[in-house]
Amino acid sequence: MTPRAGFDPASLVAGVILIALGGLLLLDQADVLDLRFAYLLPALFGAVGGILLACGLAGPPRGRS
Amino acid sequence: MTDETPTQPMPPEPPPRRLTRSTTDSLIGGVAGGIGRHVGVDPLAIRITFVILSFAGGLGVFAYLAFLVFLPTDDPDAPPLRWSLARTVGAGLLVVVALAFLIPNWLWGGEIVVLLAAGVVVYLLIRVVRDDGAGHLGQLAARVAIGVVLLALAAGAFAAAAAGSALGGGIAIGGLIVACGIGLVGGAFRGGARWLIAPALVLALPLGAVAAADLDVRGQWGDRTFRPVDVADLAGGYEMGAGEMRIDLRDVELPPGRTDLHLALGMGEIDVLVPEDLCVTTHAEVGLGAVDTGDGEQGGVHLDVDDDRRVAPGVRHVHLDVDIDAGALRVGDRLDSLGPDDRWGRDRWNEIDLSGGPNRAACAGTA
Repeated sequence: MTPRAGFDPASLVAGVILIALGGLLLLDQADVLDLRFAYLLPALFGAVGGILLACGLAGPPRGRS
Repeated sequence: MTDETPTQPMPPEPPPRRLTRSTTDSLIGGVAGGIGRHVGVDPLAIRITFVILSFAGGLGVFAYLAFLVFLPTDDPDAPPLRWSLARTVGAGLLVVVALAFLIPNWLWGGEIVVLLAAGVVVYLLIRVVRDDGAGHLGQLAARVAIGVVLLALAAGAFAAAAAGSALGGGIAIGGLIVACGIGLVGGAFRGGARWLIAPALVLALPLGAVAAADLDVRGQWGDRTFRPVDVADLAGGYEMGAGEMRIDLRDVELPPGRTDLHLALGMGEIDVLVPEDLCVTTHAEVGLGAVDTGDGEQGGVHLDVDDDRRVAPGVRHVHLDVDIDAGALRVGDRLDSLGPDDRWGRDRWNEIDLSGGPNRAACAGTA
């Protein structure tokens, strides 16, 4: 199955990860959560790792169609 | 019948799409419409981003004005954008106003010369690259220099994001990260928008560190020395945003029994100097840093230090209730090096260290 032309899965994965990470940080700033280093550092490392992995697996962007 | 097939002429390569202001999708100056069209994101998301940024110290307004100055319009009849002196000076003034707004106490020092010099260098580099006015090596050097400038800008943005988060702009920065994520998801179906990953991470990492340390540096900044003289001076406690807070309790007149003193600092160091015959107990909460009350230094994250000195009834006793987001607390009853012309180096605090810790014997009433 070939991916759709003009579709960049890495951007999609990175976007979802950043929305989740940003939402987590927003909840902390709104005092809904109280994030500590023990939870936040793995989350940050996981986000960066996930984005790097997605970009690496997807390869270079194909450009817009 | 021949098997020849008519050859189709190859369509010409489309010209590279330039970032321009849109004349067809424009609410104010067509900046958001142009950026959205260029990166394949709904211009509404770009507009929302500008609005959110505007709550982060007016950054969105300045960014919009900068785009308005620098971006050419997509109107083919409009005169081409020239790096005229007026436009350059206008852009430079915008930068100065933005910096004056964001860091009011910094701009008017000697650093203004460095800022002007950096502006001239960046302007010349842009001229070299845009006007094709140099050879291959010159172009390469110019691009390397611009890369260095961009890295410096990223470092500055990192620091600004950390400071903005600690100053209470965490909601706006968190919103920007989510906006970048939405832009990435939307851009994924239009060829990708991976360029948004870098600014989002530049914002997310410092905000994460600030959030984890519960850092809040609103309040006074700088180095302050407080010398209370009676118990009324201690009633309200002392609070600062960032810097070095020095509390000199040597001259304070205290009644018998317990006197509470609350100290709060966002980021920095608190030094408390106490007289030798005063009993001091401490409860300190430190998000990230160290505490030394004379029993050895304890360091780490989310410290909660409660010393266990027993206090005899009727003994003059100060209880320190200390809250530091990131930094250090030291409590001592002497200074390591004495100034040559003043008692205990009273006016030379910057050059000396606290040591010793409060006197245990004083708490037992035997000092």
